[in-house]
Parts: sequence; C-alpha cells; structure tokens
Amino acid sequence: MSLIWLFAILLALAVAGYWMTRRRAMTSAGGDVRKLHSLPNYYGMNAAMLSLAPALIVLFVWLLAQPLLVDATVTRMIPDEAIPDASNRGLVMSDVRRVSNGLDALVDAGRMSAQEARDLSTDSDDIRASMAEVGVALGSDVRPEVLRAAQRYRLLTGRGDLARNVIVVLIALAGAGLAYRRTTHEFRARNAVERGMSLLLLGAASIAILTTIGIVLSMLTETGRFFSQYPWTEFFFSTNWQPRFGGGSDLGFLPLLWGTLYISIIALIVAVPVGLFSAIYLSEYATGRIRAVAKPMIEILAGIPTIVYGLFALITVGPLLRDWFAQPLGLGNSGSSVMTAGLVMGIMLIPFVSSLSDDIINAVPQSLRDGSFGLGATKSETIRQVILPAALPGIVGAVLLAASRAIGETMIVVLGAGASARMDLNPFEAMTTITVKIVSQLTGDTDFNSPETLVAFALGLTLFVLTLGLNVFALYIVRRYREQYE
Amino acid sequence: MTDITPDHEGPGARQGGSIMRQTARTRKRNAAERRFEMYGMAAIAFGVFALIWLLTTILSNGLSSFSQTYITIPVAFAEETLDPEGNRNRAEMQKVTTFSYKPLIGEALIEAVDAGNMRPEGMPDAEIAAMVSNDAAAQLRDRVLADPKMIGTEETVEILAGGRIDGYLKGRVTMASAELDRNVTPDQLRLAGVMEGNGLLEKRLNWRFLTAPDASENRPEVAGLGVAILGSAYMMLIVLVLALPIGVAASIYLEEFAPTNRLTDIIEVNISNLAAVPSIVFGILGLAIFINFLGLPQSAPIVGGLVLTLMTLPTIIISTRASLKSVPPSIRDAALGVGASKMQAVFHHVLPLAMPGILTGTIIGLAQALGETAPLLLIGMVAFVREFPDAPPEGFFDPASALPVQIYNWTQRADPAFVERASGAIIVLLGFLLVMNIIAIVLRRRFERRW
Amino acid sequence: MKDGRLEERDTTMQDTKIKASNVQVYYGDNHAIKDVDVEIKDKTVTAFIGPSGCGKSTFLRCLNRMNDTIDVARIEGKILIDDEDIYDRKVDPVQLRAKVGMVFQKPNPFPKSIYDNVAYGPKIHGLAKNKADLDDIVENALRRGAIWDEVKDRLHAPGTGLSGGQQQRLCIARAVATEPEILLMDEPCSALDPIATDQVENLIHELRENYSVVIVTHSMQQAARVSQKTAFFHLGNLVEYGTTDQIFQNPHDSRTESYITGRIG
Repeated sequence: MSLIWLFAILLALAVAGYWMTRRRAMTSAGGDVRKLHSLPNYYGMNAAMLSLAPALIVLFVWLLAQPLLVDATVTRMIPDEAIPDASNRGLVMSDVRRVSNGLDALVDAGRMSAQEARDLSTDSDDIRASMAEVGVALGSDVRPEVLRAAQRYRLLTGRGDLARNVIVVLIALAGAGLAYRRTTHEFRARNAVERGMSLLLLGAASIAILTTIGIVLSMLTETGRFFSQYPWTEFFFSTNWQPRFGGGSDLGFLPLLWGTLYISIIALIVAVPVGLFSAIYLSEYATGRIRAVAKPMIEILAGIPTIVYGLFALITVGPLLRDWFAQPLGLGNSGSSVMTAGLVMGIMLIPFVSSLSDDIINAVPQSLRDGSFGLGATKSETIRQVILPAALPGIVGAVLLAASRAIGETMIVVLGAGASARMDLNPFEAMTTITVKIVSQLTGDTDFNSPETLVAFALGLTLFVLTLGLNVFALYIVRRYREQYE
Repeated sequence: MTDITPDHEGPGARQGGSIMRQTARTRKRNAAERRFEMYGMAAIAFGVFALIWLLTTILSNGLSSFSQTYITIPVAFAEETLDPEGNRNRAEMQKVTTFSYKPLIGEALIEAVDAGNMRPEGMPDAEIAAMVSNDAAAQLRDRVLADPKMIGTEETVEILAGGRIDGYLKGRVTMASAELDRNVTPDQLRLAGVMEGNGLLEKRLNWRFLTAPDASENRPEVAGLGVAILGSAYMMLIVLVLALPIGVAASIYLEEFAPTNRLTDIIEVNISNLAAVPSIVFGILGLAIFINFLGLPQSAPIVGGLVLTLMTLPTIIISTRASLKSVPPSIRDAALGVGASKMQAVFHHVLPLAMPGILTGTIIGLAQALGETAPLLLIGMVAFVREFPDAPPEGFFDPASALPVQIYNWTQRADPAFVERASGAIIVLLGFLLVMNIIAIVLRRRFERRW
Repeated sequence: MKDGRLEERDTTMQDTKIKASNVQVYYGDNHAIKDVDVEIKDKTVTAFIGPSGCGKSTFLRCLNRMNDTIDVARIEGKILIDDEDIYDRKVDPVQLRAKVGMVFQKPNPFPKSIYDNVAYGPKIHGLAKNKADLDDIVENALRRGAIWDEVKDRLHAPGTGLSGGQQQRLCIARAVATEPEILLMDEPCSALDPIATDQVENLIHELRENYSVVIVTHSMQQAARVSQKTAFFHLGNLVEYGTTDQIFQNPHDSRTESYITGRIG
C-alpha cells in the first residue's frame, strides 16, 4: 500500500469523523443549533483535527525513523571483511538499498513471486541482468552478502511499512472516536478547535527555526567529517587550492576568499555610487514623469534572475572587456575575470542599493530639509551636509547588506569569474569564489566520504557564517538608525 | 586678522546687495548644484543603459531560437527498407532503426538538389546529405510509425536542417567561419543559399522550442524547453501549495497571536535572517537533508520544490505580515465587539481583507523562485533529462529539469548554437516572470485598499 | 484690508521691509490664500494670528519661497522685499533665504554638534574667512540666540541632546548666524513648555532691535506679548491688519472681534 493510499484513507476517516460528529452534536441538541455551545461545524472540525493531526505526526516521525532503524540493523549483517578495499560501508549500504529496490521492481513487474524474491540466491540467477530489465542498473554483480542484506532489508522495510499503516490508521480511528464520544451539546468545540489551530499556526511559524537548524546541522555534521579527514589549519590558512580526485588534494580556503572579496569589492564600487545617486536623484530631483519611467526600469533590474546576468557576463561583458581592455593593456586573455563578474554583479546590485538608500533617505525627517533650505542651502548642500550625514548609519547598513548579497551570489560568478583559484591583483585575470567551488565540488560525480566533496560543506558553512554575520550586523545598524527617527 | 573680518555686528551688513543679482558665490554654488544633479542623472542613465544593453543582448541573441530552418523535399518511403515484411506490423517496423531512414533522406535531398541543378561544382554527395539534422531521421521514423500508410508512397515532407545551416540563415555562421569549422563546409552554405532562393529551404516559426525535450551536444537544432518548462511548473505548484498556507499561517501567528516572548523574538530574527541567506546554502540544505538523509531522488521536482519553498517562505511571510498589519485594528475591534473569538475575527475579517496583498507577495515570491538556479544545481537538476516526467503526484519524483538550470546547462556546451538556445530560453523565462509580475501589479491596483 | 492701507499712511517708505499685494496661493485645487495685501515694517515684530488652517503659515512660507519645495503649490501676485520682487525669474531662492531666515514650529537641529549647527549657514554662504572668524560668528550668533552661556562649554556636543527650549534657541541662533534681515518664525513656541516659551519670547523682543520679525502664532496672548503689529487671517483672507493694541482692544471687523473674544477659532 503506497503512501498516497494511506493519505487517502486518513483523509476519508477525517471526513467521515467530521460528518458523524457533527450529526451527533446536532442530535444531542435536539436539532436546535442554539442549544449547542459552538456552531455545529466546530464539532466536526474537532473530530477531523483529532483524527488527522496525531496520525500525521506519527506517520511523519515513522517515515524519518524507520530507514535509520532498518539501516542500523542491516548494516550489522555486513562484516568488515566484506567491504571491498576501494569502497566503504556507505557505498555497500547504498548497493543493498538498490538491490532491495530491484527486488521490489521484479516482484511488481511479475517476474518473480514474493516467495522467490525472499529465497533468491546469487548461485542460481543472474540478478544483475534481470534487474537491468526492470530498469534498475547495478554497477557490478551482486555479491552474496549484499543480496542477503538486501533481502533482510526488504523484509524489515515491508514489515515496518505494514505496521506503520496499521498503527497510523488505528490512531486516526481512535482520535475520531474520542472526539465522537466527547461530543455533547455542552462540549466547547470551538475552544478546542481554536487551541488546535493556534498550535498549527505556531508550528508553521517554527518552520523558519527548523530551516535554520536544518541548515546549521546539515553543514556542521558534514563539516565535522571534513575536518576529521583534513586538517582545519590547512583549510583556513593554506593559499593553495588544488583538489585531486584520488587523494592528496590541497584545499586551501584563502584563494577562494580572496576571489570572493575582490569581486564583491568591485561590485560594490559599481553599485554603491550608482545606486546611491540614483536614489538621491529619484527622491530629490526627478520630476514626476522621469520618476514614473526611471524608477520601474531600475526595479526591473532587481527582478531579473541571476542566471540571466550570468549569461550576460559570459557572452557580452566578458568578451568586451577582454577585447577592449585586457588584451590591449596586456593584462590577460580571459573573458572570465574578476572585472567581468564584479561589473555585472554591480549592475545586479544597483536596484538593491538604490531601494534601500531610498528608504533610508526618506526616513530623514522633512523638518531637517526645511531647516537647511530655510537657511538658504541649495539642494545638493542639503543632501551632502545634512541628509547624507544623518542617513549615514543606514547607508552603511545598506552597503553591508549589499556586500552580503555579493558574497553569496553564485550564478554570475559561476559563469563570469572563471574557475581557477589564485590570489592575484590583476582584475582581468580569472579567479574563483567560495560559491563557485561549492557548485563545482557538489555537482557531477560526488563521493560523500572524500574530503574533495565534503570541503563544499565547510565552504558552505563559512559562507553562511560570513553572510549571516554581515546581515545581523547590518540589520542591527539599520534598526538603530530607524529608531533614532521614530 | 580682525580688520579683514566682515562686519557681522549688524544685520544685512553682508547681503546688502540686491537679490536680483547673483553673487559670484551663488553662481559657483549653483554650478555645484547642477554638477551634483548631473551625477544623479548619470547614475540613472547608467542603470537604464545597463538594463537596455542586457535586454538587447538577450533579445538579439535569443529571438532567432523561435524560428528554425527546414528543408522541404519529396521523400520516397521505400517499402523494402522500411517494412521488409510488407505487412505494416508496427512491432516489426520498430526494428528498423534510424540508420535505415538516414540514407532515404540523403538520397531524396541529393535528388532534389540535382533536379534543380543547384549543386556547387565538385561538392560530394556526402556533404549534401550531411546538411540535414542528425535528428531528422528519428523524426521521420516517428512519423512513419505513427502513419504506416506513408510507406511505399512519395510525399513532400519537411526535414529539419542541421544546426550550422540554420546558423547560416540566421547570420551566426558565415563563409569565413565555415572555413575553420569541421562541421560545415562553404559549399554546404553556398548550396543552402541557393536552396533558399529556390524555396526548398526556409526558416519558420519553431514551436518545438517550447515543447521538445533537451537534445544532445551535437543536435542544438532540436533542443527544446519542454521538460524544463514542465519541471519548473511542477516546482512552482509545490511551492505554491506548501509556501502559501505555511507562510500565511506563520504570519497570522506572528502578527496576531504571538505573545511577546523569547520564542517569538527568535522566530522573528530567524525569518529576517533567512531572507538574506545565500540561495546556494539552501541547495546544500536540500542535498544534505532531502537527498542524503531522507533519500528523496536526485533531479526530482519534489526536492527542488521543497528547497524553493523554504527559500520563498521568508519573502511570503514578510509581505503577508505587511498586509496583515495594514488592516486597521478597528476591523478587529469591530469583530471582537460583536462577540467573535479572536480566531474568528482574524479568519473571517482580517484575512480576507489582507488577501490581495498576500497574493501579490506570493506571486512575487514565486517569480523569485522561478528564476533561482544555484540551489537546483546542487540537487542534481543539471542532469541531462530527455524523458518527460509523469503526471503529478508520481511525476514529482521523476527526474526533470528546470528553466534556469536548462539555461545554465546550455551555456556549458561547446556549440555556439546553444548560446542562441540559452538566450531564447531566457526570453521564455523573462516572459513568464513578466506575466507573473503583471498579474501581481493588476491585483495590487484592483484590490489595494488605502485605509 | 482697509485698515492695512490706513496704517500705511502713518509710515514712511523706508520703513516698509515687505510689501505683498494680491497674493493668491493654490495647493492643487485648494485656494489657500485669497488676495492678501500687507506691508511689513523693518525692526518690528509682526504677528500673524488666526484659527488653524486659516493660511497664516502658508503665507509666511511665501515670504522666503519655502513653498517652492512643495510641488503642488502655486503662487500668484507680488511680494516685494526692499522693493525687489522675490518671485522674479532672476531671483535665486537660495540668496533670498539667506536674507530671509526661518525658524520652524518644531525645533529641528541637525544631527551635528552645536557648533556645526550654527556654523552650517555661514559655511555654505562663505561668510567666514577662516576658522577664527567662524568661531567669532558662531559665538556671536549663540549670544544673540541667548543660549551662549548654556552651551559654551559643550560646543561639540550634539545639538539634538539639548532640551526643547534650548534646541529652539539654537535654531534661532542658527538662523541669525547667516545674518538675515528678516526672521520668519512659524509657531516657534508651540512645541515648548511655558518656561522655554518665556525665554524664546524674551529673545524675540531683543531680536526686534536688528531684524524685521514675522511670527505666526496660535496664541493670542503671545501675539499681544511680543508683537507691535498684528494681522488676523481667516479662511485664507487677511481680515484685519493693524497695531497690536488696536487689534486686541478695538477690532474693526466683527470676525476679528469674534476670534479675539473666543467665539470662533
């Protein structure tokens, strides 16, 4: 029985509970709605809630726990000697799971009875070939201990699924029954439903926390594994990045950090003045007509996906900079460069800086402008000497937020910056960033036990800490700034 | 020092002169003022210029992907090669591979060229036959299998031209570039020019670009966005179904019910920080939790949808809270005043009034999610997928691509024809984003209430 | 209006600092000031009184073209200062505002030090030759703003840290520092407590010796205390203009009388 059917049954139970409980409430009030404590629907909703919520929670926990338990049991069946030299326990276990899925597929396709699948042995059949026919590709022939583990795995999973289905349905029935039994015309159904609802709302709000915990945990555990295989001093202080699949890699983080910061600084050099002056012009100078045209156009830049900027860097800006600047100046022959990525990223950040600055400039009270104009200051004097100094903390916050964006940006640097990790001052040289390396280490063939793959998690964690720190600091500054004028 | 100090004891001592005449200092200050304004205008001009430059680049590179070059020639569907048994049995006909169809097309093309006396001097047959797409034979085979009655007849059919020929008609491939290119000869281009003049070869609207699946490295002319669009649609569906209710529920809790305590504070800070976490970090989360820990399949829309949901949630929560906040407290007071519970007041009165704002925020969040690329790269959506996913819900677990990832994929291929495809795909992507934003703007205009 | 003209006969032409005739102000479709004629004398405190929304502040802001900063405002008629039309195309409002200073309803010190607040005007107008000169100007202005003794030891503390009354006197000192000939005050005491109000009123008395002061106030008592001439505005019209004594003791117009006696307003 698949999960979808289980869901359907649970839903049907909830609906049935709803109607039966609602009817019971009506009967207990003698058909007179006014005698009920709550509206009849609330009695039904109470039943639906009590039958669905606990059942779904149990189901969810079960779905998480069962694979872990089964894995733990099955893995004990594989002795250390049975793990080939070039492999490890994790890979063998994924073979086991794949064979088990293959057996399922064979049974589903009618090639084999359930009994045969249980008794199958490596001596008699070409398992690899028959599994290939039902679409399960195996990398090598099935070894006997793997097959036995897979059969065991399949058995345990099957039993677990059955138990899960029975228990979940029973819980749903019990919930609905409880609600049904409690229903009298005096029962405060609305209060019960609302209590449940507010728990549900709280649960939804907590997903944000769960996400953060998920991010931190997933990266922390993998980073821990990385540092158990690779010295952290080498990672943080080495200036050499040279992953070699097959071991002996140099995974120094500094060249990536350098590339990231270099590109971000160029992006900010483009974006901050342009964004700031756009905001000043739009809010202090532009006539209504110009504002109506220019403001949406700047905002469109913010709505364009970064992959588009990336392609723009790759096919237009990169070659342009190479042919007109890098080559004539003798600075390099690469279309991908720090300059390309920085320039395009700067364009991407213009609307970000400009809209933040706009908010901040508008938060400066009109009375300060009046005071300055009243003394005979021109607009630019007012802006430079009164508004900007007053808005400075807010603008610093905005720049920090933009910097955090730049550091975490991926697609523009993947397509525009290049992939060679180096520490160089020449902005027309291809360099690489933290995000580029996360992408390159985690796409394609990955082995989650080698430091070359795991390093991506350490990079991710560093990136997360870096951007989070910048954000928290920037938001703190901006909030302090706003409070000043409230 | 004191004797050159201007007299500031009495009022008016300094100005004295007429306000009708600008003093030298005022002129200087006004010049600085104009300079400052010019900086502002230059900044705006730079931004607008960048936008126009970007869009023209994309349009000029990509618009041509919506048309494709076809060769229209009569082809004889010889029975002895296509249906050796002669009984139109489909199972047997399926054993005839594309290799048998290929010469059919080649011969037909050579015949048509010679009939029109178009062959450039000394051009070998093989070069003529190589002008059609590698995929043309497969397309023809599909047509024959769908309609076996064609066998034994001669029919005028449209044959897809090769990528380089297509590029020649679109101006991407030139005689000079063909000299250096191993995949095309100047003779082929010359012949293509003549055939175009004779009406055998023409460029026409290319719907297949939107419907066909991706194609391999050496067949840019058949590569399409079908799987990518479907995959993106699946993911948007998942994001909508998950993020909207969860986001609205979370916002209602935070805005209407949350007590002021530590937990609420933590949640609030969390949400504002999550909104600024780099998207690639969500990709790492998806890879570690959904794929490695929960064992969901790689490249599947379900994983992409979940990751994008988590990414979009903060956006939706922030905009939903803003629109809940904009409903004045008097509405809540009025509902509570007639004896509604707090929950009823919120769900019956506040929420419906905030709905347009919530929907606008959701659409904008969806638009953001639609263009997101980096996290999808990490959960394996870069894989080459030619099969369309099944219908939902099973299809959510099938491998699929996504629009932005497809664009990335095409930028990584060697053949320059894929730059055209990638730009074309961007036009499609921007088109979807434009539609979504227009819907959001219309919603806001029509339903926005100012209190 | 008649009374305004009557008054004119008693004064000589040199004494007239501001002469407004036929002034109309529109805010979009709203006709905010209707046909106002008034002559304001030098070295005099002139008070504009009237119920809120009567246009007195709007008219005040016309006198140094502060309404220019509001997009929808439109002004017709003539305002002459020292016989020069301030709405003439040749006039640069920046120069005009140096000559006609303004103090606002709410104290609005810049988020800078006390010193920098006062030095701001002299700096932008280039009044000081050097640092010592600037120090002189600042000290002088603070003395004239009657706040020097309170702040001389903390000139580099932020101006926003002062009390409300001190802030308003700082703003007056700031306005005085650019050496204007006219000072416009838009309800300068409305945000202050009685003690601070008293200090500012005393200051206005002293300022009269050197400046033509125009003060908008919602308090009739204040107008009576500080001004020599009073103009009563009602619904955008200048109803009556005369010496303060005359307006308060012997109003000619029945509307003025109603307002003075508290029946409207």
